Amino acid sequence: MPNLTINGQSYFADAPPDTPLLWVIREDLRLTGTKYGCGVGLCGSCTVHIDGKAVRSCSITVGAVEGSMITTIEGLNPANAHPVQQAWIEQQVPQCGYCQSGQIMQAVALLSKNPNPTEQQVVDGMTGNLCRCATYSRIVVAVKRAAEIMHQAAGIVNEGASHA
Amino acid sequence: MLRFTPSAVTRREFLVRSAATAAGTFMSIGLPALGNMSAKADAMSGFTPSIWFTLTPDGKVTMHIVKAEMGQHVGTGLAQIIAEELEVKWDDVRLDSPLESVENFAIYGLAYTVNSGSVTTEFDRLSRAGAAGRIALIEAGAKILGAKEADCSAANSRVIDGVSGRSIGYGDIIQQVKIDRKFAYPDDFKSIKLKAPGSYTIIGKSIPALDIPSKTDGQAKYGIDVFLPDMVYGALVIPRTRYGSKVLKVDDSEARKIPGFVKAVKVDDSMGKCTGWVVALAAKFPAAIKAAQALKVEVDPGPYAGLSLDDLFSEFSQTTKNPAAGANWVLEGDVDKALAGAEKTLEMEYTTDMVCHATMEPLNATVQFVDGAWHVYSGTQSTSFARMTLTAYLSKVLGQKPEDIKIYVHEYLLGGGFGGKQDYDEILAAAYCAKEVGRPVKLIQTRESTFATSFPRTPSYHKLKAGLKNGELVAMDHDICCGWMGPRFSVGKKYGSDWLQLDSWDAKKEDIDQWSIGGSDHWYDVENHRVRAFDSDRTTWAVQASALRTVSNSYNMFVVESFMDEVAHALNRDPLEFRLALLNGKGSSRGIPNAGYDPGTPSDYYMDRLWISLPWPNDNTWPHYESTTVGGALRLANCLRVAAGKAGWGAKKLPPNTGMGIAVSSAEERQSPTWVAGIAEVTVDPKTGRYRINRLTIAMDPGTVINPLNAKAQIQGSALWGASQVMAERLTLKDGALEQSNFHDYTPIRLADVPPIDVELIDSGHHPSGVGEPASTVVAPAIANAIYNAVGVRVRHMPITAEAVLAGLKNKA
Repeated sequence: MPNLTINGQSYFADAPPDTPLLWVIREDLRLTGTKYGCGVGLCGSCTVHIDGKAVRSCSITVGAVEGSMITTIEGLNPANAHPVQQAWIEQQVPQCGYCQSGQIMQAVALLSKNPNPTEQQVVDGMTGNLCRCATYSRIVVAVKRAAEIMHQAAGIVNEGASHA
Repeated sequence: MLRFTPSAVTRREFLVRSAATAAGTFMSIGLPALGNMSAKADAMSGFTPSIWFTLTPDGKVTMHIVKAEMGQHVGTGLAQIIAEELEVKWDDVRLDSPLESVENFAIYGLAYTVNSGSVTTEFDRLSRAGAAGRIALIEAGAKILGAKEADCSAANSRVIDGVSGRSIGYGDIIQQVKIDRKFAYPDDFKSIKLKAPGSYTIIGKSIPALDIPSKTDGQAKYGIDVFLPDMVYGALVIPRTRYGSKVLKVDDSEARKIPGFVKAVKVDDSMGKCTGWVVALAAKFPAAIKAAQALKVEVDPGPYAGLSLDDLFSEFSQTTKNPAAGANWVLEGDVDKALAGAEKTLEMEYTTDMVCHATMEPLNATVQFVDGAWHVYSGTQSTSFARMTLTAYLSKVLGQKPEDIKIYVHEYLLGGGFGGKQDYDEILAAAYCAKEVGRPVKLIQTRESTFATSFPRTPSYHKLKAGLKNGELVAMDHDICCGWMGPRFSVGKKYGSDWLQLDSWDAKKEDIDQWSIGGSDHWYDVENHRVRAFDSDRTTWAVQASALRTVSNSYNMFVVESFMDEVAHALNRDPLEFRLALLNGKGSSRGIPNAGYDPGTPSDYYMDRLWISLPWPNDNTWPHYESTTVGGALRLANCLRVAAGKAGWGAKKLPPNTGMGIAVSSAEERQSPTWVAGIAEVTVDPKTGRYRINRLTIAMDPGTVINPLNAKAQIQGSALWGASQVMAERLTLKDGALEQSNFHDYTPIRLADVPPIDVELIDSGHHPSGVGEPASTVVAPAIANAIYNAVGVRVRHMPITAEAVLAGLKNKA
């Protein structure tokens, strides 16, 4: 039975090692922001970060992630203020909201790999995440807006550094 | 005729009262509770329960929202309506979702969220409720300030004396003065003067939705997020058929080997719900899934086991061969005579496939029995019907009187609804399992079982005839055969109920299921127009036909608007000009609801009597709000002009194999239209038949717009829902079972296929109508018409596959 590190917290997963990570996160540890949508990696609702990469938690076992750094939507930012979350609220992206944790985790991973994506790169990076309310148009705008917010923040830091 | 039996109890006044409780003084506004509840509640607390909002001494106003939140941000919209008249500062607004019970039903009325009807039905009474609260607060505030009422006004949660300039906050007022103000019905109701469009400060503003922040940090709670002490998990064994199979034997010998397995439960299906259901219970959900797979279930597959989709379509076309089997839904002029006298007739068959809701949140329910009461935790479109259905079920299962069964339904967020969360099978099954195991049960349908037990939109078959003469459409004849959803809800004369049924236009007064035929009663001024409705009862039960976003409009608009385009082309007329000429505000395109209504029926009768959240007095003295039919097809024509102008119809230079298609729609029903026009620009690859939407343009007139940003979001989402239905979605029946199982073989639209969408909102100042669904109905026919204009291929089936387009291209060549 594996020990897990989720959002910087250590947990003992009281589950057989072949259990999908999703069910341990959601139902055992009750971090319910991570959602069950399809169970087979087709919809992206269960997306979490494993060592910084977006992974479908329904399709990886707890046994496979022992020793990894796992981040769920709850661990992204304590104030709901990650640039992607800011952009999501500013652009009023969610409708029913069920898929949005997965969308946000996917977007964060996309931007950490490519801080300045073109529109096509946003589409390619996000098209694996299904949204039945079809909030898609706003998702594209919000990912680009999040990139902007991140650059602005980085700009302030850099400016400060150059004056020092 | 539409009949509705009103409650024997009427509510004849608004009550605005403040009361002191252990928790402090507060003021609330609502109507007297129904029946005995009023006296009981008064005796208990000296206070009549409120329904709409409660003002607390901290100056906060909690709006009690009985509508389900499933992505439409309904609480924010309804709160904007109240806040506008109450003159409350938006920062002071809070929302809550009342508990459903027999007692609260008497206070809050029917909790049912469907039909894009929330804003339409609630706008007038919530406006008046807000205004009544403001009036009472001004009266009380004036007293405290020592001012004349006439000199006082309200703004930002304060009453202000215009003479002295002094003011007092709402919270302070109710702490200092006891308010007990009645607004007698009907005179005081009518005398409440509401603000005029144009003077709003909260309505019409794109206020950020109150539910959104919780949906970006994982804190929002859906039905699937419920946990109860000592609960077990349930997973459903996928039933052999969609409906009607019987479980004969359950062998759990393999399931018992799975650690954590608790029990296999054969769900009682004697009420005709959850037929053939076996649930595996286990300590954890992964074990429940494994156990469900390990159970060996022996069944009698039932009456529909041999049935496939093709059988249903053959039955439909056979059924329509006998006109006497149909009921006249629309009967204007003399269609047979006009067809006989036409210079040319056009005759076409159309078919549409099944689709299903496929909400991102799979179906689920958690039920516990504690202290003699059943507690249901779920996200449902109707907590009221969930309670009533479970009451009937438990009454049968337990052999108890309905009045002895106590049920509370705790509403959670819905991870999508689209009409798919107004059946309650999971709730019944979870309750039955909870009874069997003596512990709370959380039943989660896997994606696979969610598909297998979904409630699809019926397949449909259409036969259309048009009579053309002197360059005009002089007659239109439309036969529709499909599964009617009413019977599943025991709706219709043969079930002893007339609720939600309309009668045929002629003297026969036959039942017609408007939820399966509506939309065919279009707004074009066609002198001779007949729609005959044919019922396929076998389809209804075999597939469990149900409501899916815009209900029958989602297929009837595809058919009507595709066919109208065919008529325009047959007449060598521009499809835009042809439509505008028929949307002239005359004949059946004038602003009246039609089919089957008694003359003199108030124009808002339909919405107010059916989707009402409260039984208003049914004596015709209530000041009826303006019907959304006002203006008729002239408003539709205006939408069409706006969309055409914006898209550049007839003006834009288009690449090869590219065309624009137009369509209009008045979904959701003839009696409650939202006016919308859509234009799709589509490019077809002539080698493969694949097509791509380059752009969608939607123009909508929903009357008064409550929240423009949210309205646009709803319109974009529903437009893509329409695109998804025509491009990508198809559910099929084989051997009595629904074939699709997950998002590899049922494929809703993804980001890569999303075109730019231009939305033009026309705030016409009329009574507001719904924005969450109607745009979905124009996109499918607009795409079909665009494909025709691009490459000359007419596909008379939805969805439109690349194969069908390619076959059309080959036929042409």
